[in-house]
Amino acid sequence: MSPSPLAIQYRAVLRKEVRQTLRDRRVIFMLVAAPLIQLVVFGFAANFDVDDLPTAVADLDRSSGSREHLRRLLADGTLRAAVAARSAEEADQFLDDDRAALALVVPPGFGADLQAGRLARVQVLVNGADPVRATAAASAATRFFAEAAQEGAAARLRAAGLRAPSVVLAPRVLYNPRLRTSLYIVPGIMAMLLVVVTTIVTAMGLAREREQGTLEQVLVTPIRPVVLLAGKMTPFVVIGLFDVLLALTAMTWIFGVPVRGPLTVLALGSLLYLCSTLGMGLFISTVSSTQQQSFLGGVLFIIPASLLSGIMTPIRAMPPWLRAATWANPLRFYGELMRGVLLRGSGLAELWVQLAVLLLFGAGILGLATARFRKTLG
Amino acid sequence: MSGHGPAARAALRVWAMAAKEVLHIRRDPRTLVLALVMPIALLVIFGYGVSFDLERVPLAVADGDRTPASRALVSAFTAAGELELVARTGPERADELFRRGEAMAALVVRPGYGRDLLRGGTGRAQLLVDGADPTTASALAAKADALARAEGLRQLSAAGVAGAAGIAAGGSGRVSPPLEARTWIRYNPEARSAVFMVPGLTGFLMALVAVLLTALTIAGEWERGSMEALFASPVGRFEVIAGKLLPYLGLGLAQLLLVVLVGVVAFDVPMRGSAALLVLFGLVFLVGMLGQGLLISVLTKNQLVATQAGTLSAFIPSLILSGAFFPVENMPAALRALSAAIPARYLVHALRGILLQGTGLRVLWPDLLAMTAFAAVVLAVATARFERRVA
Repeated sequence: MSPSPLAIQYRAVLRKEVRQTLRDRRVIFMLVAAPLIQLVVFGFAANFDVDDLPTAVADLDRSSGSREHLRRLLADGTLRAAVAARSAEEADQFLDDDRAALALVVPPGFGADLQAGRLARVQVLVNGADPVRATAAASAATRFFAEAAQEGAAARLRAAGLRAPSVVLAPRVLYNPRLRTSLYIVPGIMAMLLVVVTTIVTAMGLAREREQGTLEQVLVTPIRPVVLLAGKMTPFVVIGLFDVLLALTAMTWIFGVPVRGPLTVLALGSLLYLCSTLGMGLFISTVSSTQQQSFLGGVLFIIPASLLSGIMTPIRAMPPWLRAATWANPLRFYGELMRGVLLRGSGLAELWVQLAVLLLFGAGILGLATARFRKTLG
Repeated sequence: MSGHGPAARAALRVWAMAAKEVLHIRRDPRTLVLALVMPIALLVIFGYGVSFDLERVPLAVADGDRTPASRALVSAFTAAGELELVARTGPERADELFRRGEAMAALVVRPGYGRDLLRGGTGRAQLLVDGADPTTASALAAKADALARAEGLRQLSAAGVAGAAGIAAGGSGRVSPPLEARTWIRYNPEARSAVFMVPGLTGFLMALVAVLLTALTIAGEWERGSMEALFASPVGRFEVIAGKLLPYLGLGLAQLLLVVLVGVVAFDVPMRGSAALLVLFGLVFLVGMLGQGLLISVLTKNQLVATQAGTLSAFIPSLILSGAFFPVENMPAALRALSAAIPARYLVHALRGILLQGTGLRVLWPDLLAMTAFAAVVLAVATARFERRVA
């Protein structure tokens, strides 16, 4: 039995695409090595933990009570005494000049109030220009003084010969006990890098053929547009899957990301996800006329899709209309799938929704893009 | 303008090249639209969508104690606006709920909690947290800690009342905490993401436009072979380049002003410093980025490769290593050293100073110096490579 004409056409296009892609070493570098480099750099850089924050200290009280509290607060490693201020205004000035990330002001009378059992107040000024440092500084100070307040209240009750009950909450973190950001962010980065590789490269590649007029030439041959597209996509699906394997290896070796769930679910999800991102690239190429435009179009898709994927910030904190919009974001579902399989050990039973959405999105965008592609050629 | 000297004639030729490039952009305005829609789209996303706040965190409760004290602890958790009670269950089902994504935390109170508190001892509870998202998990743990502490203080206060400890508890029977810290977040008291993000956003948008669009447009001329044609014209080589870069300098500045304007008008981003300083920093940054784009285009001569080179060397670093999102201080030493060579790092720092803190050159001069040095080095290397390419 001889192969059908469609299969022959498909094989011819595929051979041409593979040859063309492999010819330029630099393209191979950017499809395989560049994402890996970015994954590793990104994984090491993405860390929200902060310590050693430079602190301006204005101890206007200079009592044993104020010294003791400041010493204990500065001892836990999050804050570091950097400059001493003579007044609250000077401490404030240190914030303006970037010499301190926060300022602690202990007003006169603090020690006396503390001893007399009156409410003793401390002022904490935080430089809010840098969000991550601001949050870390504020929570370190707040937590310390809340603890000190509770201890003080309990001590007073005990001194009066009364019961001093206390509540202790022991947190136990599942899947990622040391709360390492990289375990979570690295799989997410991989999902983002796959979009860069597949969406932008497809969009620009097709725009380039359009620019150079080679697309027209292929179209006068008997090759059907659908076959042409299928042949063009296949190498990128293979490269994308290869990138997934490479990234998984790097993740487990370098960052110690566990693989707790079934790899088959991950592979199926990756395949469906690649269909979505390639379809998106194809779609972008049909609405742009130059490589520059398809690049910008790709970026305009990638950035919102990454930011609204739940990979960097939680989807629950978004307003309802944006939360609804994330249902059309393949990145969200691939991110959830990766996190589920790798960290929580979830399988098909828990992740079928994600797979179904990826399938729907992939089929939808590929269909739409193919239809548009044929129209723009016709 | 007759009898003009050579300098004026050169300026005229640069102008003509710039006019040609502007015509290219105008003839097919999609590039322009994309470049100007992007900042607004991103600001809207940052303004509304990107927030690390705890909200609607699904909580499961396993109360094995069922005493008034345990019920009080549970209701302290469910009454907090950040948490949403989704299930009452046994502790052994927490894992299943986490994996199905139905809960992110489970509060487990074992039998004996209320009895221990009544005896004046320590009531122990456990919070199981889904650590697959460590950012939310650590915020959640901090919130839960604060809630438990408040509940502990309430128990103390109840004990004070029960013991009629008027004196010990400050006269009212209520144990007031003897110590209070008042925290002010300067420059952005409501901690809104849009305010935080504008400086970082501007840096990476300008890097995107200046490096990538120039790299693409010049690489495109090489690709099509029209660069040789331009060199054959009476316009000098550097005039060609200067003319091609000029419109993108304008586009980059337009983006900067657009982001700041939309930020100020729509998201109440403060503009405390000098506008002239803002433009100065923007200009120096853009010149460096344009130089980098030129260098990339000369080295690659291919738009697809130029994209990746630009993404690797400008786009990703200005997002990741600039300190806009992740604190630079905590990165490994090698990355910290690398970030010192990223102009976006200085720009983000300077824009934070100018917009939010109202600082001036007295504090920001090292940033300006570093950006100027980068621009000078990159332009020198780019022109040297360029000379060799065309010679």
